[in-house]
Amino acid sequence: MYRLAFRNFIRSRSVIIALVLFLLVGIVSIFIGKQFLEKQQAAIEAVTQLQKEQIERNVEYVQDQFGLLMYYLRFAYINPPDPVTALAIGQQDVNSSIQYLTIRGLEGQRYDTGLYNPYNQLTGNLDLSFVILFFFPLLIIAFNFNVLSQESELGTWPLVKVQVNQPLRFILQKLGIRLIVVLALLFTLLALAILIIGLPPSERLAAYIVTAVLYILCWFAVSFLVIALRRSSSVSALLLLCTWVMLCLLVPAIINNYLTVRYPVKEAYSTFIKQRDGYHTKWDKNADSTMQAFFGHYPQFRNYVWNSPKFNYMWYYAMQQLGDDESAPDSEAMQRKLRQRQQSAGTTALFFPPMHAQLQFTGIAGTGLEQHLHYLDSTAVFHENKKLHFFPKIFGDSAVIGENWAQHVPQYFQPANPVKWALLVMPFIIFVTMLGAAGILIFNKNEAK
Amino acid sequence: MKQTKIIAGHFLKVIIRNRALAAVYLVWVLLVLYAAVTGYQTYTVQNAMRQQFQQQARQSWEANPDKHPHRMAHFGTFAFRQKHPLSMFDYGMESYIGNAVFLEAHKQNTINFSEAGFSTGLLRFGEISLSMLTQIVLPLMLFFLGFNAVAQQRENGTLKILLSQGAGFRSIILGNILGLFILALLFLLPVLLATGAQLLLQASLPEDGHVFIRGICILLGILVFLWLVSVVTICISTGSNNSRAALLKLLGIWLLMAVVLPKTLQAIGSALHPAPCKIEFDAAVEKDILRIGDSHNPNDPHFKRLKDSVLKANKADSVQQLSFNYSGFQMQEGERMSAEVYNNHLQALYGLFERQNDLSNYSSFINPVSGIKNISMALSGTDFKAYRKFQNETEAYRYKLAQTMNGLQIKHISNTRPAKDGQSHSLGREHWTAFADFRQGFQPVPAVVQQEKLAISAMLAWLVLSFALIYFTAGKAKAL
Repeated sequence: MYRLAFRNFIRSRSVIIALVLFLLVGIVSIFIGKQFLEKQQAAIEAVTQLQKEQIERNVEYVQDQFGLLMYYLRFAYINPPDPVTALAIGQQDVNSSIQYLTIRGLEGQRYDTGLYNPYNQLTGNLDLSFVILFFFPLLIIAFNFNVLSQESELGTWPLVKVQVNQPLRFILQKLGIRLIVVLALLFTLLALAILIIGLPPSERLAAYIVTAVLYILCWFAVSFLVIALRRSSSVSALLLLCTWVMLCLLVPAIINNYLTVRYPVKEAYSTFIKQRDGYHTKWDKNADSTMQAFFGHYPQFRNYVWNSPKFNYMWYYAMQQLGDDESAPDSEAMQRKLRQRQQSAGTTALFFPPMHAQLQFTGIAGTGLEQHLHYLDSTAVFHENKKLHFFPKIFGDSAVIGENWAQHVPQYFQPANPVKWALLVMPFIIFVTMLGAAGILIFNKNEAK
Repeated sequence: MKQTKIIAGHFLKVIIRNRALAAVYLVWVLLVLYAAVTGYQTYTVQNAMRQQFQQQARQSWEANPDKHPHRMAHFGTFAFRQKHPLSMFDYGMESYIGNAVFLEAHKQNTINFSEAGFSTGLLRFGEISLSMLTQIVLPLMLFFLGFNAVAQQRENGTLKILLSQGAGFRSIILGNILGLFILALLFLLPVLLATGAQLLLQASLPEDGHVFIRGICILLGILVFLWLVSVVTICISTGSNNSRAALLKLLGIWLLMAVVLPKTLQAIGSALHPAPCKIEFDAAVEKDILRIGDSHNPNDPHFKRLKDSVLKANKADSVQQLSFNYSGFQMQEGERMSAEVYNNHLQALYGLFERQNDLSNYSSFINPVSGIKNISMALSGTDFKAYRKFQNETEAYRYKLAQTMNGLQIKHISNTRPAKDGQSHSLGREHWTAFADFRQGFQPVPAVVQQEKLAISAMLAWLVLSFALIYFTAGKAKAL
């Protein structure tokens, strides 16, 4: 009977049309992801080439002054996309994944954005995670809303009840058939994604797949609960659609608005101004006090002669450093505020599967706010290392030729971004269990009547 | 006409008696309130904050002591983008565009700190604004409230009775549309009140914002849009065999127009016209600048030629003999050339963006949701062109700042280097205050209307088409 029911369902014309449509949209989304990945790769190659060329050119022009040369040279620090990024682009189209920095003040450089078309960002990317988050629930709703009510409306329910001794099992079987079809669609898309994008098997990919499957289960649980209420087909459809509008459209937007209002990032602007003032006003101040402040930060450079008549680049870089030092509290406050946003979003999302799934998808792919903040932190370390490497050469007025310039190739951010399995899985499981239990309870109560 | 009125009244009576309406309306009012409050907060807090920082930046500019003008060119200043008051109604692209830019000589910086850069992945679900509610959520609610208007009457046989009593299909359809449209106006009312309150609560509104006239234009657009929604709902309801089919069709239309089409078309647009990333863009600019002349390279042929010709024209042997400051003159030339190259590249890039957006703009003819969205964003000062205007203004100001400082150097600074340990050349600080602060302006209304003529004509075409739709639906409709 199970096989018959399965064939009956899969042979329906509307089901086939829906599946084909979803398959097409899914494939489009995979290609969008692939294109995004390729663009990122092209940018990485471009910056690698550019860094090499500009070092060669400037080293040729400015051979006598290390300090002047370092005014111009820029070094790339790259946040390389994990292949899974193609399936969950997240915020990576907004946040720059290449930092191309001089060793001058960091705060004036690290928030520079890319050049983006805001219309593209407004409509957002149609990546696979969006298809799963937004469209899959609609497919599930369309498949499930009349699983029971149709039987009642066509008058077949009494017949079914006579033939099967456990009506609940019958309903679960019907849902099971639909679950298999939806999961088959999901796995087809994932298989295509693996083939088209060339995704290597990894823990991240596994986490992505688990998230997608659990998220789909959540929507089956929602459908089951609504079915158990035993309303007419149209009321069930309306209830399910209202749930979809609430969970996928309104609640996340409401939370996002709240976060924007609750945590206005004023510190970004104050960092911006303080960094400039911290550096530029030093031109008019006593150089000695600047140098003392600089030596307070870097006592290891105390022994260099900073007021030599031949060059005063040491003073110049000390002034730059003070721009960073004086804006540091604001910069830290800004990062704190962004972490608060991330945490509030994460906590709220525990109660709403679509939000949780979205944050998990971007977390897995490393395209969320959290990893971007890590990248910014790590950029500071990269910048610091470059300074510590070049400061002695500038201050000691080393020969430009003496430096091994070939070693200064772009460096890569290596995120320690382990998959937090428990946090990923638990909210979904609790959600499914609760809705499932409530559904069984209500179903049995209605059946007893 | 009388029949139409009676049917419209009947439609409203049935709907209003329905208990569900009260619940739906309550949810709607709550959503409107939430959107209004958060929109108001964002606007007032952000604008106050940005004004404060604009002043702070100005104060530290003016606080500079006497110094060499070129130091001031590097000191630079900031421009903080002010939101248009109607951004409280329609966020448009506000969250995705930068808000602050550092303006200095020799270098065009990016406009940084967009809200999107500070956002969690939740932003991808969208934001709740009054315009989003009116353009995306309200049509859905109207579909839910109107899908069975005619279809149900057909199902339960009352349609036959109505027709036999002499009511024509046209008046049945028109009556129901009118009823639904009035209902839509009832839903629009809280939105209007909320927007009015948002604006009235402001201590002051920018004069060149033309809030009133822009608001009226948006309202007209929304009225047309809601009329279209009403027409489509009732015509689908009339054309469907049963109410379930009607609801499914309407939901399909909503999904297509509100979510699928905008996303897909924009994706296609950007795939058709691939834009370079920042690094590629910078590399191209740098390449062009190096090609025409590098003012930092002492042996650059362009600047060598320039120097020779200047010396020749002034009958001088060396720059020290010139009556003006030569290095200021050279920087003025360098700034002019590099700004021109940069702007050519930037305008080309923005032209490319506009071409990416073309598909979305033209889609107004197949998707009225895009039409009203584009019109509303443009009039609320939150679209790409409004941003482009801000970008152009900041670059113009940056250029003026750099060239004014170069001009001061040319005029007032001596060509001889200051003696070692001697006072370096400097200029009185009164020159800094004399250079006015950055001021942002909003586009004049006729320019906005002109720029949105495509979307406006699409909406008008839809309006005409709606009457044709009523006519044809009435002609084809069957009683059973």
